Amino acid sequence: MKKVEVTREELERIIKLCENIEKRGLDPFTVNIRELLEKLRRIIEKNPSLDHYVIDAETLYRISALIALQHKWLREKAKALFIDAQMISTRLTAMDKKTLAKAFLKAWHPIISLEQMTPQRLRQGLEHFLSLPPRSGSREFGWKITDKEMELIKARLELEEKAMMEKIKALHLELLKKFEEKGEALNYWEFIKGENFDETFERAYLLSFLITEGYVDVKRNPLKNEVKLIPHKEQVKRKSPTSLVISLRGEVH
Amino acid sequence: MIAATMLLFKSHRRPGVRGWELKHRLGKNYMRVIDALNSRLKQLGLEIKTVFEEGEENNFDRARFYVVLSHPLTMSDLVAAGWRIDEVAALSITLSILSSRGGKAPLRDVLEVLETKFPKWKAETYLERAIRRGYIERLEDDVLTIGWRTKVEVEQKALLKAVLEAHEEKEIRSD
Repeated sequence: MKKVEVTREELERIIKLCENIEKRGLDPFTVNIRELLEKLRRIIEKNPSLDHYVIDAETLYRISALIALQHKWLREKAKALFIDAQMISTRLTAMDKKTLAKAFLKAWHPIISLEQMTPQRLRQGLEHFLSLPPRSGSREFGWKITDKEMELIKARLELEEKAMMEKIKALHLELLKKFEEKGEALNYWEFIKGENFDETFERAYLLSFLITEGYVDVKRNPLKNEVKLIPHKEQVKRKSPTSLVISLRGEVH
Repeated sequence: MIAATMLLFKSHRRPGVRGWELKHRLGKNYMRVIDALNSRLKQLGLEIKTVFEEGEENNFDRARFYVVLSHPLTMSDLVAAGWRIDEVAALSITLSILSSRGGKAPLRDVLEVLETKFPKWKAETYLERAIRRGYIERLEDDVLTIGWRTKVEVEQKALLKAVLEAHEEKEIRSD
């Protein structure tokens, strides 16, 4: 039993040796192939079992691969004018950096290639960007914004927000006034109507904030196709809010 | 025009175009177009280089086509192009070792020679850069092999010859 294990180990050692030479690019002629084959024959003759045949076949395959490697090695050597690797290493060590660079330049023909944005590439980029899913939270952009720029942006946003709030407040007051004057719910379309489409659109947009925040209730009668507005002085909390889509058509100037 | 655009503008991660891509755009006689373009490029000091896939030496459809400089660069060209002499010397050493050993060598052996010229960190940096640029490849078990860019840009036999001759020139001068 012990003898069987020893021969198996020996075969595995041969396989490992062949693999190492192949993987690490070592000189395949450092191994005596004839000796390996003789050893393999002896092992096969002494152990005629199925288990052994499998590992014998594997060993034989590895040795064959090594022979193929010897063939390739010889061909490469012939191509490289049989220059000895050791000699090259010694010469490289003796040469100075400038001479080495000069030697490289004699054999170097760099690739010429340009990287340029084309309309097709731009289109591909845009398509890719549009196909990206939205990211949760804030999107991080590649460019850097300075503190000063950030302050300016914040100030501008605050101003815009303030102007918007004033407009919403004015619209709320107007709505309350008209409601008091009329004493009944106001027609949505009559209320939002401005001098032009731009103004109508803006009033509808601002009104949507008042509705969302609970300052205005909307009553819709689908039979008469009517949308009525009932304003409140204070914010009213809704028990079951629903959304309503109203589309506007016209040309923006 | 189409062939020149395809060859000069990088449209993939790597430069160069496959033969079948040229065939698709230029038709089945694309090699005639390539030959005509090559003769025009030669007037400008450029040329088209064809690199075949291993084991498919005559299959032009599977081969890659590149535009390369036809004449060697000078040292001043090299510096003007932003290369450091140290880096090129390191590349020269690495490729010479790999070429002389049939295209493959353990990283340890290459570093051993590089460390005779540069500190270890520098040698490793240059190797990493060469790997990134595609001049060499790092296989498992820390074995280095010739990369795709070397196969295109470097005449390996000429490099070994130049290394030997450069040394001999120096010896003659010292005599």
